[in-house]
Amino acid sequence: MNRMIRWALWMGGAVLLILYPRLFGIYYSNIFVMFAIYALFAVSLNMLLGFTGLLSFGHAMYFGTGAYGTALALTHIKGLPLIPAVLAGFLAATLLAVLIAPLVVRVSGNAFAMMHLAFGQLMFYLALKLRHITGGEDGIGGFVIPPLSIPGIASWKMTDPTYFFYFAVAVIAGSIWVLWFFTKTPFGQIMVSMRDNAKRVDYLGFRVPHTKAVVYVIAGGFAGIAGAIYAIFQNLVAAYDAYGILTSFWPVMIIMVGGVGHFYGPICGAAIFGLLDELTSRYTERVELVIGLVLVLVIMYAPYGFTGFLTSMKMRWRARKAAYGKLGGTQREYSGNEKLVS
Amino acid sequence: MTAWGSGTLSIDDEAYLTYGSLGGGIQVGHTFRFKEDKPVDATMAMYVAQGIHGLAYGMILFLVASGLTLIFGMMGILNLAHAAFFMLSAYFGYQMLAWTGSFWAALLVAPVITAAFGILLERFLLKKVHAFGHIGELILTVGVSLIILDGVKAVWGTENLTINVPPILKGLVKIGVMQYPIYRLFIIGMALALLLILSLVLYKTRLGMVVRAAVSDAEMVDALGINVPVVFMFVFGVGTWMAGVAGVVIAPILTVFPGLADQIGMDAFIVVVVGGFGSLGGALLVSIISGFISSYGVQFLSQYAVLLMFIFMAAALAIKPMGLFGERE
Repeated sequence: MNRMIRWALWMGGAVLLILYPRLFGIYYSNIFVMFAIYALFAVSLNMLLGFTGLLSFGHAMYFGTGAYGTALALTHIKGLPLIPAVLAGFLAATLLAVLIAPLVVRVSGNAFAMMHLAFGQLMFYLALKLRHITGGEDGIGGFVIPPLSIPGIASWKMTDPTYFFYFAVAVIAGSIWVLWFFTKTPFGQIMVSMRDNAKRVDYLGFRVPHTKAVVYVIAGGFAGIAGAIYAIFQNLVAAYDAYGILTSFWPVMIIMVGGVGHFYGPICGAAIFGLLDELTSRYTERVELVIGLVLVLVIMYAPYGFTGFLTSMKMRWRARKAAYGKLGGTQREYSGNEKLVS
Repeated sequence: MTAWGSGTLSIDDEAYLTYGSLGGGIQVGHTFRFKEDKPVDATMAMYVAQGIHGLAYGMILFLVASGLTLIFGMMGILNLAHAAFFMLSAYFGYQMLAWTGSFWAALLVAPVITAAFGILLERFLLKKVHAFGHIGELILTVGVSLIILDGVKAVWGTENLTINVPPILKGLVKIGVMQYPIYRLFIIGMALALLLILSLVLYKTRLGMVVRAAVSDAEMVDALGINVPVVFMFVFGVGTWMAGVAGVVIAPILTVFPGLADQIGMDAFIVVVVGGFGSLGGALLVSIISGFISSYGVQFLSQYAVLLMFIFMAAALAIKPMGLFGERE
């Protein structure tokens, strides 16, 4: 029965997504694509922050490298199909992660965060200064966006916002599913136990730095996919948007607001931030101020974010039901098991 | 953070500093005036001049980085709002100058107000999230930093505000055959004086002993009956105050604008990371090295100089992941 309900919910969600462009029009479709991009970006960072306990303030370097990878591939390779273009971004980001991983897997905590802050800025300045490759602050724009075509059968123009909506959402949903599946594998469980007690995992015979490196590369690669979709969506990649420091802070905030301990936390967070951004930018220019305030309030009063809040509500509701429903029902309170990493 | 200011700002006829285009680092330039009757080795003079520029910048970096590293060493808090406080103090300095007309009043009062804000942050916000570990503290300070960065834009606008140096510090002083702006030498001298006072307090007084002990084991010091939270507050205040002093002092050279925090903040973080978290000596050494790297880098590599800092950091961390003088996580 439960499984039936779940399937029905998933199917309903899928139907809603298919109808979404028709129901809400192009403007809200584009907002949804942006939300989806940030959701994938934040979910990929959550592989590090939520599941492995590594805080990175430089995840934009993978997002940006994915975006630049796709943009450069589309600019320089004539007639490159759509899927290989997205793969180019993915591979570029993965390659960068493979190069940087040996440097960063030996540290954790503050040192990890700071090294990423610095590496992220290094990539930012590289993108600014290597003007002949990246176009500096103007960036790369106006590249031809190929249609998605199955040879001999069909071809969909990606310049049409509706088709692009379906393509982007399909790629992002697929990527998020792969990441979800990854957390359910035995390897994913090692990742979680490494967050909770790295020393014990080491004693059990698992190689902590190697495991970290694998997770790190996966997180980087999928951020690259988010960047690749972003590049095609905007048809423009510029240094500040791709590698800027706010681009690095953004997914961290999304995860914190959504809830750090849950897989779906970042997705909720991206939705909340999308709404917040959309609403505040209508009334005020001080979006950063509002975001800063939200961040401070969340960390002060709801440190487990939105999903943590939901979990505690659910626990409380169950406890009440147990207390009223039958005698001797155990009073269970939310214990805060999803401990933040120190 | 839209104001990646650019432009050339002259502090006097002889020396100029540019806040590089698009965050391209602090580019240090200098025009020389030589006595006509005495031909000198211009290259040598250039090296010396760039050296002094580098030292001045390194000293400013040290003022910012020392607070950062002290706070980290003691409380394990990496205060990402530190650079924002640095910038906030520059704005306070501008406001004080506008009200009182005295640079010295600005230099005295603005850092103290900034330190008060820092203490409020420590007292009422950071303490509460301490239970959630480093990540909570990092996120909190990022939030505070965003509020400050956008707040100053709301109050003072985005344009560059200028602060004039007092007449006594204007002009040039002759060193050997070349002339050098007094104000830079004033920066170096003041930073050295602060460094001296700080090290005297830290290494020669009972208070300094308590602080050093708390850096290495806060719990143990607490058990000895010393009020560690008050010591923490004191250190946080002093750290923010030093960043505030640096902010007011750099303001006449770089002017005051919302992007002020970005460049120096990033360099100060690199200094703390490379020098080793919590190590004051490491911060001093790496600050001076970084100052030289930026000034000579601009000389030889012009616009790519800003990359040098990051390459330096990557190289240092590849050899010693915990920083040159760092011992613990």
